[in-house]
Amino acid sequence: MSRILVAFLIVFPFIGLFLTFPTSFSWDEAILNTIAYVISIALVNVWLGVGTAWWLLFTESRWKSWVEWLTFLPLFIPVLASMFGMYIALAQVGLIGTYTGVGLVLLVTTLPYSIRLAYNAMYVIGRPLLEQALTFAPLARIGFVLLPLLKESVRTIVLFSTVIVLSQFVLVQLIGAGLIPTVTTRLYQAYAGNDVSQALQNTWVLVSLPVLFYIGLGGIFSIWIRLVKGRLQ
Amino acid sequence: MSRSSLWLSLVVLALPFTGVTFLIYETVGFNWSELNDEAWRASLAVTLYVTLTSTLLSLMIGTWLARTIYMKRSSWLASLLKWPMFVPHVAAAYLFYLLFSGGFPVYGLFEANERNHLVVILTYVWKEVPFVFLMVVGTYGQLNHGYLDMAKTLQLKPLEQFRVAEWPFLVKPLLDSFWVLVAFISFAYEVPALLGVTFPELLGVLAYERLTTGLFLNAFESYAVALIWTLFIFTGVVASYALTAKQRRRIERGMRR
Repeated sequence: MSRILVAFLIVFPFIGLFLTFPTSFSWDEAILNTIAYVISIALVNVWLGVGTAWWLLFTESRWKSWVEWLTFLPLFIPVLASMFGMYIALAQVGLIGTYTGVGLVLLVTTLPYSIRLAYNAMYVIGRPLLEQALTFAPLARIGFVLLPLLKESVRTIVLFSTVIVLSQFVLVQLIGAGLIPTVTTRLYQAYAGNDVSQALQNTWVLVSLPVLFYIGLGGIFSIWIRLVKGRLQ
Repeated sequence: MSRSSLWLSLVVLALPFTGVTFLIYETVGFNWSELNDEAWRASLAVTLYVTLTSTLLSLMIGTWLARTIYMKRSSWLASLLKWPMFVPHVAAAYLFYLLFSGGFPVYGLFEANERNHLVVILTYVWKEVPFVFLMVVGTYGQLNHGYLDMAKTLQLKPLEQFRVAEWPFLVKPLLDSFWVLVAFISFAYEVPALLGVTFPELLGVLAYERLTTGLFLNAFESYAVALIWTLFIFTGVVASYALTAKQRRRIERGMRR
């Protein structure tokens, strides 16, 4: 009984999505920016996350515990607070108001989570299985062993970085100096202007992008795994 | 392969620390008594209230759900619990705003934009419970059932059973989640800006507004608050990890088979 109550509490906020239907969908600069950022940040996160986790698990180095702390600590620094500092720092090198600057700070907020997720997943898979992959050339190692084994965690990394990127308003507004529109910044403008249908259209985009990426990635992975398994016969 | 990505990661991860260094540099010579005004004091109080309430509620509900789902093996609830994770915080805030800002049956009982920030807390709990669940459910997955059986054989009360057979293993994931959530909730803009009130504002909202309005005249106040808050949380993290280090290490050694 209590489980049904919990299920209801999880689902009920989604009712808000159907209160007013978005009138017309317009394909504009904000949506393109958002999709470009989501895809590039997710790709870099998977690459750097898995690579760093690999180093943390398999390399003997006296710097290891330091690196572990460095990857762990940023989770405990309030994003907005360190963002004020990065704002001053990036202003010195002229990255305020540029696409590169915004991309960089979006990467800063997502990477610690990705390294953590990749590390935990590879720790569970275990050293013996991953060590056998070392005989392959790098590309084959990634394609035939790492990605199929890490399927679920790659999906989780992409999901986490997508959702975090889509949540950032202040970061994009401050570092982008208001020059780089995304769906999130549009949502705040529409909200301030009391434009419910515009705001709701943006909310729809924000909710459906992570779902589409998650399902799409799952599909691509299962096709790839079937192809790889076909090589065994 | 892993070496080049390590270096890139290190450069990226060093940026927040660079940011904090720049904050220290900027606040040298700042007149700290400027922070002693009504708005900041009220903001600190309401921030502590909102942060602690939503964090502790999320931790308790998340742990309880992980425990229930593990004991009863109800996988449908586990997959349903993933749903809020697909919703960005901004979108969640807007959905709750739509539901609680009038026109809906529960209006009046709960309301967006009121001084108790109940809807802000509700939004955070809804978003963070799946996160806590994810952090804790792994621990339940590898829990040695022998401890619980032993506690039952010794006829301990249910609460005592939990304390001896489960709690010691939960300390690490709960401590990690506690600080991640506190750092995130206590200094954020997006959710309280949509669902909060103009007085008292949460620290993140007030700091961002002081920073961006009025030609950056009040910027140093925001830098100073960001710096103190970061150091405050940092002290808390170091202290709590140092205090539990002995216990966590013992558990980790015991868990390794």
